[in-house]
Amino acid sequence: MKLRLPLLLALLTLLPAEVFSQTEPVQGLRDSTPGIHALTGATVVVAPGNVINNATLVIRNGVIEAVGANVTPPADAVVRDMAGRTIYAGFIDAYSHIGQREEPVDEDERGPVNWNPQVRSFVDAAAEYAPDGGLAGEMRSQGFTTALSMPELGMFRGSGALVSLGGESARQQVVRAGVAQGLGLTRDTSVGATYPTSAMGGMVFVRQTLSDAEWYRDAQSRYASNPQGLMRPETNLALAALEEVVEGRQPLLIEARDEEEFLRAASFAGEFPVNLWIRGSGAEYRLLDQVAATGLPVILPLNFPEAPDVGDDEESALNVSVGQLLHWRHAPENPARLAGAGVQFALTTAGLDDVDDFLPNLRAAVEHGLDRDTALGALTTTPASFLGVESTHGTLEVGKAANLVVTDGDLFGDDTEVLETWVDGARFLVDGTNVLDGGSQIRAAADLPEPRRGPPSIQALPVLLEHGHDAVGGDTHDHGHDHENGDQDRAGGAELVTSDQLEAVGTLPILPRPSAQLDDLIYPLMDFGRPGIPDQPEHVLVRGATLWTQGPQGIIENGDLLVSNGQVAEVGQNLEAPAGATIIEAEGRHVTPGLIDAHLHSGLSGGVNEGGNAIVPEVQIGDVISANNIWMYRQMAGGLTTAHVMHGSANPIGGQNQVVKMRWGASPEELKMDGAPSTVKFALGENVTRNPNRYPNTRQGVEQIILDHFQQAMDYQRGWDAWEATGEGLPPRRDYRMEALLGIKNGEISIQSHSYRQDEILMLMRLAEELDMQVKAFHHGVEAYRVAPELAAHGAGAVVWSDWSGFKAEAYNASLYNVRGLLDAGVVTSLHSDNSQIAARMNWEAAKMLRTGVSEEEAMSLITNATAQLLGIDDWVGSLEVGKDADFVIWRDHPFSAVTTPEQTWIDGRKYFDLEEDREHRSEVQRLRDELIQQVRDGR
Amino acid sequence: MTTHMKRLKRAGVPGLALAFLILFAVPGLHAQVPAAPQSGPIALVGGTLHTVTDGVIENGTLVFEDGRITAMGTDVSIPSGAEQIDIAGLHVYPGLINGNSHVGLFEIGGWDVTIDTNEYGDINPNMRAQVAVHPESRHIGTTRNSGALVTLATPSGGRISGLAAALNLDGWTFEQMTLRGEVALMVNWPGGGGNQYRNGVQEIREAFARARAYKTAADAADAGQGPALNFDARWEAMRPVFDGEIPVIVSESQPERIRDAVEWAEEEGVRMILMGGGDADLIADFLVENDIPVLLTSVQTSPNRDWAPYDDRYNLPARLADAGVRFGIVGGTSAAYSNRLPWEAGVTMAFGLSPDQALRSVTIDVAEILGIADRVGSLAEGKDATLLITTGHPLEYTSAIERAFIEGRDIDLVDAHREFYDRYSEKLRQLEGGN
Repeated sequence: MKLRLPLLLALLTLLPAEVFSQTEPVQGLRDSTPGIHALTGATVVVAPGNVINNATLVIRNGVIEAVGANVTPPADAVVRDMAGRTIYAGFIDAYSHIGQREEPVDEDERGPVNWNPQVRSFVDAAAEYAPDGGLAGEMRSQGFTTALSMPELGMFRGSGALVSLGGESARQQVVRAGVAQGLGLTRDTSVGATYPTSAMGGMVFVRQTLSDAEWYRDAQSRYASNPQGLMRPETNLALAALEEVVEGRQPLLIEARDEEEFLRAASFAGEFPVNLWIRGSGAEYRLLDQVAATGLPVILPLNFPEAPDVGDDEESALNVSVGQLLHWRHAPENPARLAGAGVQFALTTAGLDDVDDFLPNLRAAVEHGLDRDTALGALTTTPASFLGVESTHGTLEVGKAANLVVTDGDLFGDDTEVLETWVDGARFLVDGTNVLDGGSQIRAAADLPEPRRGPPSIQALPVLLEHGHDAVGGDTHDHGHDHENGDQDRAGGAELVTSDQLEAVGTLPILPRPSAQLDDLIYPLMDFGRPGIPDQPEHVLVRGATLWTQGPQGIIENGDLLVSNGQVAEVGQNLEAPAGATIIEAEGRHVTPGLIDAHLHSGLSGGVNEGGNAIVPEVQIGDVISANNIWMYRQMAGGLTTAHVMHGSANPIGGQNQVVKMRWGASPEELKMDGAPSTVKFALGENVTRNPNRYPNTRQGVEQIILDHFQQAMDYQRGWDAWEATGEGLPPRRDYRMEALLGIKNGEISIQSHSYRQDEILMLMRLAEELDMQVKAFHHGVEAYRVAPELAAHGAGAVVWSDWSGFKAEAYNASLYNVRGLLDAGVVTSLHSDNSQIAARMNWEAAKMLRTGVSEEEAMSLITNATAQLLGIDDWVGSLEVGKDADFVIWRDHPFSAVTTPEQTWIDGRKYFDLEEDREHRSEVQRLRDELIQQVRDGR
Repeated sequence: MTTHMKRLKRAGVPGLALAFLILFAVPGLHAQVPAAPQSGPIALVGGTLHTVTDGVIENGTLVFEDGRITAMGTDVSIPSGAEQIDIAGLHVYPGLINGNSHVGLFEIGGWDVTIDTNEYGDINPNMRAQVAVHPESRHIGTTRNSGALVTLATPSGGRISGLAAALNLDGWTFEQMTLRGEVALMVNWPGGGGNQYRNGVQEIREAFARARAYKTAADAADAGQGPALNFDARWEAMRPVFDGEIPVIVSESQPERIRDAVEWAEEEGVRMILMGGGDADLIADFLVENDIPVLLTSVQTSPNRDWAPYDDRYNLPARLADAGVRFGIVGGTSAAYSNRLPWEAGVTMAFGLSPDQALRSVTIDVAEILGIADRVGSLAEGKDATLLITTGHPLEYTSAIERAFIEGRDIDLVDAHREFYDRYSEKLRQLEGGN
């Protein structure tokens, strides 16, 4: 790099002024070197699937003037023999940060920008663009001549610019500004801000910001039409910059860092009139059908993982999971699988540690089944179409920009090298194919590496200037934008090939490739994943068991359970088996409803707490449910069929929770339990008061901040009511937080409050009563037994631990008899795990209650029917009653005996776990793991 | 008490006042009054005696006197004047032993003034756990109600944490509670990677080398073969370790590092017990060859790795048993959870251990590993009358503990948890119109 400035100065004396600017006055003498080239004898891949052998391609002033087999070089052209070379359209990198500044600036000094520095939508990549010759050279070496340059800071990052990867100044390089607005779904800590701290907070922050942009547009427009008497709406450049996005005119380009985030990103399309593009992660194949169903354009990295370090013995491979190994094995198939599923994608160098890995990885993708034309299209025509430059970029048709890649053979051949690229008619030799030592030197084209097929026939000896990363041909700066000579300058005999004539011209000789057979994959793609969710037999009859119905029928000895189409059809004795029923002889076994955990934090992505504000009911666990969750397998194997996945306890009013069923093998969306009512996490006591830099610091403050926010929400409602009644003034701004608070206030979202001490439990009940609300359940409730009669009177339930105690001051007055005391007072009571492992054996938790005098059926209710009741899902689950979901567990012994374990776990009438099948499954996991480790060791 | 006082002073006055309020001034609690010494012979008559080491005696009678078991069998002559307790239909088991517990040293997590487990610095072999045991800790009552009547109080932290003490969970003072002090030296095998790990190991080696030099000189001085030497509290405390009198309990779970530790112990010539042992099955043969017993700190836990089946830790004890590794099942570091011991050991019965093996893992096997089997761990004449009267197997959720004796003392089974329940049952009764 340090040599570049002197070189540029040297060139300045040689090159014409218009190379640097079409607007800058000439200094000294004008250079008017012509930019007319005829490349002859090459194999020209005009577009994917359209190949002309022994063709001539004519470039005039940066634009392709002619291409064809029978084109005669114009008399005014420099002729360059390209025999043995293959010429492709220059590649377009559909996602890069080239030329973007990396350091955040102090947003306080920016003018009227957003309150949250994560919103940098006003940033214009074109305005920030500083040519980066080093990176441009690296990208050209992989065949790229054009790139989308996206700003990279913040969540709303600003709009990207399409740039040419050649040319001396930003003025020359920037092709188009304002191409797409960049968005990341989680906070960028480099630009500060306290909110959102979590992935779920990120989701709602995006919604709120897009909604704000709509409001801003409407408020400004109303004010502009008649400002008289109106309070002036704030000026906000960030929201103004998003108008194009919420109008659907500027694409919103979201970076999705895994396949689940991809689906989360896609969900905005249903909520706002936005035009989405997704910058993918390389893991989309793990949720292929769902990704394909979004129909969104995707920009794919080729960031294939390194082989995990497995050493050379069992012990050194111990910590390598099947999930890691499978991703290593299958990531190179991502493009092929997406193409097969009909996903439109462009490719990018983004996500690679080293840009030089691009072509090897591209070839690996082809090796793993990606069709060559699709691959080439993903580098040329597809991104050109995404980016709206198909009339100028993406093919070698006449009239398009002279962006070329010249190789010494089939692009997909392992040994093929990119020899040179042409950018807007300027020629760049590839660094490394003919390295010179630093400074400028004169060379002959004869020194170029030998083409693979056929000897070079040298007709011209062009003078080349080569330097460092910037391979600048002496005759490459003569392109321009001067079209004044136009068509009449073209050689009379040239055959002009237009796109509709291309089809029949020829095909590229293709090296033989092993045809890749893509295996069916398990899901989730990890240890103990499965080929799909289990079948649902039409009828299942479980016979002769001790049946714990947890309903009015109590415990039925020698009981039968009939399941039809996923629901409980009949419960009793000596039931008739319908024809074709699956019959399970369960003599000596116990059958219980599927267990339910009222409080779990596993199976979500990107943080359990939204810590960016004390009050965050707008965030939703449902936005971040993850199926890549080994705990689900373990929990389901322990008889758990339903769980209430909860927000953490950092906030007096936390986020909304999500009920899931443990459908191991289903996608995140399919895990959610249909119909489960909304619930919200509240939290009291130590956890919400221990942050010294945030209100509240006392239990008194907790009461006030909750009260204050419900008052705000009621005022908010009044504002909307007035607007809807009169239509006067500025439209109110939609506020997701206030709307969630109103949902709680109206009882649509039930309160599930973390609590320890009796005073805080009582406080929240009284506060709720004052606001005409009810607390559905107090969770943890370590001292709940001390206010059991008050709980019963309020109608609140208790969801408690079996025996957690003593882990902090407010947990010190725990009692194993908590449940019993609550039951004595008539409080609906449940147990919970609050712990991924404990959730895997909830029967152990309930069993601990027996020694305190709780009856067996009551103990079972703590993890089944009472739990369902407190979560508002008792219409579907929690007991074995006709019409409810067929979620049940067959236990080897009494469910509260230490010697028991589930033999089968059924959810929705599907057998998700079977002790015998699991034995086979685990040996299959072992076999697969051994095989993949061997493949790593063999270097495959 | 003195240790508490020192720490409380450091915490300042408000911390002091609050800690006193919680620790010493819980109003109205009657639970956990230490029992009077056994005053006369007691005979448990007509129950099932589970000796652990010598089979099951149906319809048996067990007699204890002065805190020791004096007779056992179906044909036992009951001393005159003995209190006879009819245990027909009930079972007698030795008291369970929790071989790793902070009971007495730990009151409330996250609140350091109530925790006396980790001394300042890395090399603290002279810490004696029993002297900091708080006899009124709430966790004493809840732990013994689970059936664990004996615990090993273990100092922790640093590299060499101190000397563990076996406690009887009953007594007015730590002296009364101490079954045996200086039972084992706790060594925390280092974590971290690369240099951090190597430096940590080096730190342990260095301490042992110095302790050995001290012992050599001290032995010589004692034998009159060398001059008197200046006292070093740390190295003095380690002298019995080199004589093999006191074993070293090394905490580690990774196979490679367990091997390092075993090699180190052999070089040092000390008796090693492995604690933790999550991956012990992977080097079971090595442990058997070197006769290294294992104290497993958790069974009701999750696999270490995604690829391991869901029950990988539940059946680890069975796999160790099959491989012939000697092991006991012990608790974790929170005193408040010392009462989970029966469940940790009990569920192994669903995952490959027989009820007898499961029982041994928290009685005689752990007693032998810790060198306290002369006193506890089984029902045998001459051993402490530290025993449980139950309705069934003491590791079963569905059984209840009816009575417990520690050294023949009849233990109050009303603990703080039960006391709270009774207290707030009174509140309910008043609200419901009682008076």
